[in-house]
Amino acid sequence: MFRGLASNSASACKGNEMIRRKIARESVLAAMVATLAVGGAMSASAEVYVQCPGDTDGDAVIDDPLDPELLAHPNAVCMHLTSGDGFVNMSDVDANPTLTPDGLVTRGRPQYMFGYSDLTGTPPEDILVDGVLNAQYAAPTIALAEGDEFYLALSNVGMAMRPDLSDPHTIHWHGYPDASAVFDGVPDASISIAMGNTLTYYHRANDPGTFMYHCHVEATEHMQMGMLGNLYVLAAQNELPDGTDLNGFTHQAGNKYVYNDGDGSTYYDVEFPLQLSSFDPEFHDASLLVQPLPFAEMNDTYPMINGRGYPETLITQPLPNTEDGRIAQPQSSLVEASAGDQVLLRISNLSVTEFFTLSSPSLRMRVVGTGAHILRGPDGKDLSYYTSSVTVGGGQAFDVILDTTGVPPGRYFLYSSNLQFLSNNTEDRGGIMTEIRIN
Amino acid sequence: MKRRFRTSRVWAACVGALFALVASSATAKVLGIEGPTFDLVADDGYITTGEGNTVFMWGYGEVGASSMQYPGPTLIVDQGDTVVVNLTNTLPVNTSITFPGHRVTSTGGVAGLITNEAAASGGTVQYSFEAINPGTYIYYSGTDSGLQTEMGLVGALIVRPATAGRAYNHANTSFDHEYLYVLSEIDDEIHDLVEAGKMAQVDMTARKPRYWLINGRTGPDTLFPSNAPFLPTQPYSSFSQTRPGETVLIRVVGAGLDAHPYHTHGQNFRMIARDGRMRTSGAGAGADLGISDFTLTASPGQTYDALWAWNGEGLGWDIYGHDVADALEPGEDPADHGKPLPVQLPENQFLAFGGFWSGSPFLGRDGLLPPGEGGLNPTGAFYYMWHSHTELELINFDIFPGGMLTMMAVEPPGTPIP
Repeated sequence: MFRGLASNSASACKGNEMIRRKIARESVLAAMVATLAVGGAMSASAEVYVQCPGDTDGDAVIDDPLDPELLAHPNAVCMHLTSGDGFVNMSDVDANPTLTPDGLVTRGRPQYMFGYSDLTGTPPEDILVDGVLNAQYAAPTIALAEGDEFYLALSNVGMAMRPDLSDPHTIHWHGYPDASAVFDGVPDASISIAMGNTLTYYHRANDPGTFMYHCHVEATEHMQMGMLGNLYVLAAQNELPDGTDLNGFTHQAGNKYVYNDGDGSTYYDVEFPLQLSSFDPEFHDASLLVQPLPFAEMNDTYPMINGRGYPETLITQPLPNTEDGRIAQPQSSLVEASAGDQVLLRISNLSVTEFFTLSSPSLRMRVVGTGAHILRGPDGKDLSYYTSSVTVGGGQAFDVILDTTGVPPGRYFLYSSNLQFLSNNTEDRGGIMTEIRIN
Repeated sequence: MKRRFRTSRVWAACVGALFALVASSATAKVLGIEGPTFDLVADDGYITTGEGNTVFMWGYGEVGASSMQYPGPTLIVDQGDTVVVNLTNTLPVNTSITFPGHRVTSTGGVAGLITNEAAASGGTVQYSFEAINPGTYIYYSGTDSGLQTEMGLVGALIVRPATAGRAYNHANTSFDHEYLYVLSEIDDEIHDLVEAGKMAQVDMTARKPRYWLINGRTGPDTLFPSNAPFLPTQPYSSFSQTRPGETVLIRVVGAGLDAHPYHTHGQNFRMIARDGRMRTSGAGAGADLGISDFTLTASPGQTYDALWAWNGEGLGWDIYGHDVADALEPGEDPADHGKPLPVQLPENQFLAFGGFWSGSPFLGRDGLLPPGEGGLNPTGAFYYMWHSHTELELINFDIFPGGMLTMMAVEPPGTPIP
């Protein structure tokens, strides 16, 4: 019924095809709801259950400022993610995406995926419907402030296209310092949430920096399938009173720093999370078609930034998929700044197969942090350095500042200098590349 | 909810008290053979992989041992030792050993490209060097190194400084426990060709690993104890244990032909040395240029020393599940003492469980689990997976999980660690 995978182009997205697909999707939804209803009858308390201090109606939005639990946890921040499956499109077809009146676009090769979506604000009774086939790539960005108490509810809505799978899911906050086992999301060493239910993770954001998150269940499969997202924590130093002296650097209200540097050395004006990753289309097709998964032959040929290949990395609008028109790839990777800005790039890599070297040949990089930690020695020695490229392995993160003082307005490039990754599968001029536009 | 854990707490306390009596220096040390003279043989043999395959290998072994091993024996010497390695070669090809980072004198054997070699089928050669600098090193074949390292002729060398319990000659490199992680890969098709005597058909440029190993074992075999009788040619475990607040020295060796991003769940490490040289700004400063990170790029032929400690601080809840009136555990974060877990965990019927899940979120506790679940974590430790973050490498051929993964267990205070 979802024949899109046989085609490399979306040109077959004709009206009658789309109607068939919508019918198909609604049948799937009906079947899922029926299944869950039966399940619910068997175990009465199987349900979406969000825990969020001050939330009175279960939608993960704080609506009662006087709730005693909220008063006990005044820095509570809540989010409700669902985990399931869905469709995205790769960025080939000489990617010239076209918006049509019904919101669909001409896009590249469709890919089945597993992923997360952000349903914060959705009533709990709608989660198991709205979450179905709603996966996004990259996953919704999690941005916190140091000191936040983060209540992260994860509801597993199941994989609509793979009713044979009953996979649980987790969220691994990659790099969380002094992590506990229970909230670390490693299924072998903790708990994972089964379909139709909710697990609320609790993390106090103690340390600023660039982290990342992903599902750790059957990690090779679930991560290849796309359960990856940006996660970062803003430094408490941002909140100092106006005029605070930082060892000769005067903090001004509104200033932002990557870390609590004590001297303004990690000041920045604008920030862009850039998460590198990659897909193996054969693996994704095998998953959709319920075939044995080709682990040993895994070969990622769609390298991406924030879930898109160039030139779709430059498109600022959210991109719908061609399967059902849902917004599946919301994140641009276009870096825009005004001359003089200090531009922070929060670079991470969650590819399960590749190291990527990300190069900025025109604008010099200053690396101020790695592994969500300021680049300083144990007694505070400055270890930051200048470079034109960083080599980012899976699970690595770099905080890079570009100083655009005196830089002429124009377009500059940021790309993988493993040049074979400048491709969307067989098409050249794609992959891991984006622009830095200085206005 | 609390009451459920009473029994196990009493049990843990008893065990803790017992071992407090008998185990005064319960720290983990790297397993290997002590120098300064080593008599090694290069021989062939087999290893097994986690999903049940058998792979033909070449490897170093101790003379007199029953077989070669993979990786080769970890050679442990003291700084200042004059190290002598005698190599006897039973392989059908010449072979040798290089010791990167050391000034080696080779004696006897036959001339090779970069060092003297032991001739095929019975030749011998001797290498000697002074262990001038402490640290973690690699040794591997200096003969047709790409193929011979792939075949298994690789191992680790540890040079200890004068002061025990330090990685280098400075107090800021001190540790309580140390573990070695020799990371490598195997393309079994190459091994099949070599076993069949079809050396000429081996094309290293077409190499495609399908196995990824720590200390010569694929997951989950990595977790079995050292010298497990069913892994006779793979003696080294990489299962790791510590207790809250204690410092672990991580010795990582890039012993394959590919780089691996090695991720430490639970906490950042601080990399204090690379290739046996401390990251220091000068004499007396110790490892003051150490870098904090959560993923270490382990490149081929390189070695790394890093310090890691898990303190369980700042979580916002009491990791021991204490009541306020309970006494603090050693090193416990007093700010969180007695604070309850801020969220309720779902009931068991809505969850899937890992074998290393104790059933309780609290350190040193256990909880009720459905029959058949859990069971691998009797002490109620917190288990952290340490693994290649190129997750493709967490498979054994087409089977997940496996490959380059192991576990670090943070045990409750007082738990004995071998």
